[in-house]
Amino acid sequence: MRLTRRQFGAVTLATLVGGASRAFAADPIKIGAVNPYTGAMALYGDEVTRGFELCADWINGQGGVLGRQVQIVRASAASAQEGIAAVEQLVGRDKVDILTGTYVTAISNAASESALNYNKLYWETNALARDLTDRGLPNFARSGPSGREFAQRSVEGVLELVASRLGKAPHDLNIWLEHEDSAYGTSIAKEQEALFKQAGVKVGVGAHSAKSIDVTDSILRAKAAAPDVWMSTAYVVDTNLLLRAIRDQGFKPQAIVLLGTGDTKETLAALGAEFLEGVMLVSYPRPDINPTYGPGAAAYLKAYQTKYNRDPIAPQSMNGYVGLKILFEAIAAAGSVDYEKVIAAAAKLDRPVGTYETGYGVKFDDKMQNTRALPIIAQWQGGAVKAVFPANAAAEGVKIVNLPRS
Amino acid sequence: MTEILNIVAVGLLLGGVYSLVSVGLNLIFGVIRIVNFAQGEFVMLGMYGAFAAQVALHMDPYVSVVIVTPALFLLGAAVYAVILRPLGGEPMMQIFATFGLLMVLQNVILAASGGAAYSVDSVLSSRSVSIGPLQFGLVRVLALTASTVVTAGLGVFLKMSLQGKAIRAVAQDRKAAQLMGIDVERVYTISFGVGAALAGLAGCLLSPLYTMSPQIGTNFIMPAFAVVVLGGLGSVLGAYVGGFIVGLTEALAGYYLDPSLKDAVLFLVFIIVLIVRPSGLFGHAGAEEVGLREQS
Repeated sequence: MRLTRRQFGAVTLATLVGGASRAFAADPIKIGAVNPYTGAMALYGDEVTRGFELCADWINGQGGVLGRQVQIVRASAASAQEGIAAVEQLVGRDKVDILTGTYVTAISNAASESALNYNKLYWETNALARDLTDRGLPNFARSGPSGREFAQRSVEGVLELVASRLGKAPHDLNIWLEHEDSAYGTSIAKEQEALFKQAGVKVGVGAHSAKSIDVTDSILRAKAAAPDVWMSTAYVVDTNLLLRAIRDQGFKPQAIVLLGTGDTKETLAALGAEFLEGVMLVSYPRPDINPTYGPGAAAYLKAYQTKYNRDPIAPQSMNGYVGLKILFEAIAAAGSVDYEKVIAAAAKLDRPVGTYETGYGVKFDDKMQNTRALPIIAQWQGGAVKAVFPANAAAEGVKIVNLPRS
Repeated sequence: MTEILNIVAVGLLLGGVYSLVSVGLNLIFGVIRIVNFAQGEFVMLGMYGAFAAQVALHMDPYVSVVIVTPALFLLGAAVYAVILRPLGGEPMMQIFATFGLLMVLQNVILAASGGAAYSVDSVLSSRSVSIGPLQFGLVRVLALTASTVVTAGLGVFLKMSLQGKAIRAVAQDRKAAQLMGIDVERVYTISFGVGAALAGLAGCLLSPLYTMSPQIGTNFIMPAFAVVVLGGLGSVLGAYVGGFIVGLTEALAGYYLDPSLKDAVLFLVFIIVLIVRPSGLFGHAGAEEVGLREQS
């Protein structure tokens, strides 16, 4: 058969168009992961992004999103300024479609505003400050809990669990709220104080610098108030220093509740299992939670161990993993990676609590904060951290120990 | 009464920590006239040295002092010989070089540790000492004892030994010391090495108290500068006494005012002392100036 020039041209054009469209279909959805991969917070920034990478592996195994594979592209940001530069690099050089992160609130704050300049979605999974969603940035949503949810869960745990174990009515409790004095600790302590006061609980508040060489004065102030429950929101290094000062000063509150930190091997190495026995931890849900509370958490742990040849160092990675899972659902519902469409689709998502590995559901409020992402309360037990509250999050056979503290 | 006694004791014990960290800093300033910004990083290296000795050799941090302190002496001497000596004619450049060294050391440890925070354990870590109603951690009591012994030992070394006399001679007048046949560069190298070794010793002794991070040295350096200014630039005894002034100021302000205000109170005292007595309590008049210009 001989082709005319017109037929040859039509076939060639069809081939080119077909090839181009196949190539377009094969282009991955690129997600820029903004986190600190250098500097003091590198360990945890890396941990969050490991959760993103595991979720990308999972969705790619399912055939991807919108028929496209997902690719995570890392850009390191250890400060707000570097956050802006990371977004510029990810959008300008790496041509990412969406941005996500972030271990640190200040970095998220700057990076998300920069992302808006490029009309890109900034999907927050881990940064805590409530202000991030309260800004009402049109390209911003947070899939994980904010500081407010951490504060609420900690108060709920004290009023419902600790009070009964101490044999006291909530209004008979005396609480000390210790916090590091940056926006992170201060905002959470303020939320806690307001909630406790609403419940008629007596509250004392103390602040310290996370860079303090000595915090004995803070512990002596707390000790003088003779609280039943000593609660702290701080970073790893100052948390350990506070706990050492508690031990050295012979301060013996009936319950110790740590928020956000104190749940890693770094604290175990500093204080030892004996002192930590029974210390309560308000934290992201962990892979050891009851499978009925967080379906698939065990499978997540296995996937993590297979890919990285070790256990997660902190629960932040599973929170990041679930965050991206929710993002993929929003993209699928939107049929696009355009930020306005994804935000609109996410706003309509309605999943009950207990849908994901962390036990989260999805229901965004009008500021695009997921209201069904809740932390849990865990406890140090025999040198390991075990989920204990809510009761249905506790794994089979796990009981509360050493409360009140001996 | 118990309350005030307790706070004073806490302040004195904290003062012991500050003295221990500051004595080496003040020795370096007094002799070489360099404000060593990397002194906190030498303390940090001492802590990581104790950690490494514990991991590799199962050594208690109080035993690892015998390895870490000489190692820091050698490092300090090498830093002076390789980095600071070539900048001998440029005192300001030497100060900037120590700042560069701070960044290098911090980031090297960061790269090596991956950002993980480490702790070392000692058989004495969890022990407390009780005196009447007061209770203190034994590690802090040991730090206070060590700072007293180190200050006294350094004082005796500077006063009695030939090398110590050479150091004092150089500190008083470099040119005259040179004319008397003292090898000034050797004195500088030894002084910087001793300063670094004292920081390493402090790091070892304090390691059971703290969770280590590569940035922990910078937490020490700001109060240490306050200590040496209050006590007197270049004075070993001044660093010792200044440590207690800073420790007591922090403890009293932290307890009776607000812990988040204690730095503000401390540096207010710092500014007042600078205005009223620029040479500090035990410093020599003019010492604060000669550090910023070449000694004639």
